[in-house]
Amino acid sequence: MIIKLERIKVQSRKSEEAINITPVVDEVVHKSGVRHGLVNVMNMHTSAGLLVTEGIPCLEEDILTHFTRLVPEDQDYHHRRYLDYDGRLGFNADAHLKSVLGGISCCFPVEDGKIVRGSRQTIYFMEYDGPLERTYVVQVLGE
Amino acid sequence: MRQGKGSKTPGPVGTKIMIDFHTHPVLIQELAKKYPDYERASREVFHIGNNFQPLETFFLQMDVAGIERAVLLPIDCRRARKLAVSSNEQVAELCQGSSRFIGFASVDPRRKGAAKELQDAVEKLGLRGVKLDPALQDFAPSDPRAFAVYEVAEALGIPALVHAGMSWAPETPLERCHPLLFEPPVRRFPKLNFVLAHFGWPWVWDAIAMALKYPNVYLDTSSLYYDSPKEFFQFVFSKQVPTTLIERSLRNKVVFGSNYPRVEIKNMVHALRSLALTEGCLHKIFVENAERLLARPEPQRMRRK
Repeated sequence: MIIKLERIKVQSRKSEEAINITPVVDEVVHKSGVRHGLVNVMNMHTSAGLLVTEGIPCLEEDILTHFTRLVPEDQDYHHRRYLDYDGRLGFNADAHLKSVLGGISCCFPVEDGKIVRGSRQTIYFMEYDGPLERTYVVQVLGE
Repeated sequence: MRQGKGSKTPGPVGTKIMIDFHTHPVLIQELAKKYPDYERASREVFHIGNNFQPLETFFLQMDVAGIERAVLLPIDCRRARKLAVSSNEQVAELCQGSSRFIGFASVDPRRKGAAKELQDAVEKLGLRGVKLDPALQDFAPSDPRAFAVYEVAEALGIPALVHAGMSWAPETPLERCHPLLFEPPVRRFPKLNFVLAHFGWPWVWDAIAMALKYPNVYLDTSSLYYDSPKEFFQFVFSKQVPTTLIERSLRNKVVFGSNYPRVEIKNMVHALRSLALTEGCLHKIFVENAERLLARPEPQRMRRK
């Protein structure tokens, strides 16, 4: 049984952004030596997300726009208060809720050393509160 | 007078280079890796819990907010808190790496040689103003030792950005944060421009009275103590204080400040723009007033005691 875990940093450059990380995940699987098993990808933040969809710019824009429609910035959020543990106010409830809605992880089978995914399935790191340097983990398990 | 590489003259009046007059370089990965005490000062003295970020994030935060240049503020609280919340040398180092940064110095008025230290920070490190925080640095603004620092700042022709209003840092008594504590030095040093940070909240009217009364008192907008930036600004600057007061009477006395990274710069820019201020007034707050404060007159000859 092989278990390989990598922590990968990504620098978002906008307030909201869909960043295609599929090639990075492919490479981690390739390097892991796992021929048959699973790969799990997880974002390590609560105001960013991770999701799978077709990899085209119009959909990237539609997802971000629709999330903003579902979770507008100007709403009455309880999170808008002083957070002692952070030494600052929390006013990014919308980013947290988008993270909840879109999810933070995905899992794919690995077969013959490659991810098994549909031809249009693309893995995105979703930034909802950038720009920030973020971290996600890729864990490959198998033999 | 020598100036460091990072000390650039802001664009001429009339440009659209927006300046953030109030940021703290407390979460920069490159400094955390290089200086052993930097992280502990940020966490334990300044009290901020966010992740450390590469310097690139700072510039990107400025970019998405439309801010071209940022004033970096250290706080010399080595005597009072055992650690400096970033040092003059670290600020100078950041300024040498980018002309987008405008570095201020901080000295502890109660430490021997503070005035000379400030003079060196300006003349040798190229820093462009002085930051003082009576609560975090544990000094009284009217302490005669502080007057020696004001005197040098006035002679150097640099502005003094002073903490006024509630501080989030631990062990900072509110009684040290009141804007009226600065009235004696403001009166004594009429050629030294004082910027009262955070609009003096919750003593907003006191801070405003100072800015209305004294030509050498300015206010910065880095004020956020509850709700979201937009909600806070909408209440404080339209209900508590009429927006027209800023538009008509304080348009030449307010500079934009975000207090990043306690607040993201973009949120404070949006909050300020949400007020019913004219573009002309906003231009003064984002650009002109800061440029005027940073434009140094010919330095006066140092008075010897």
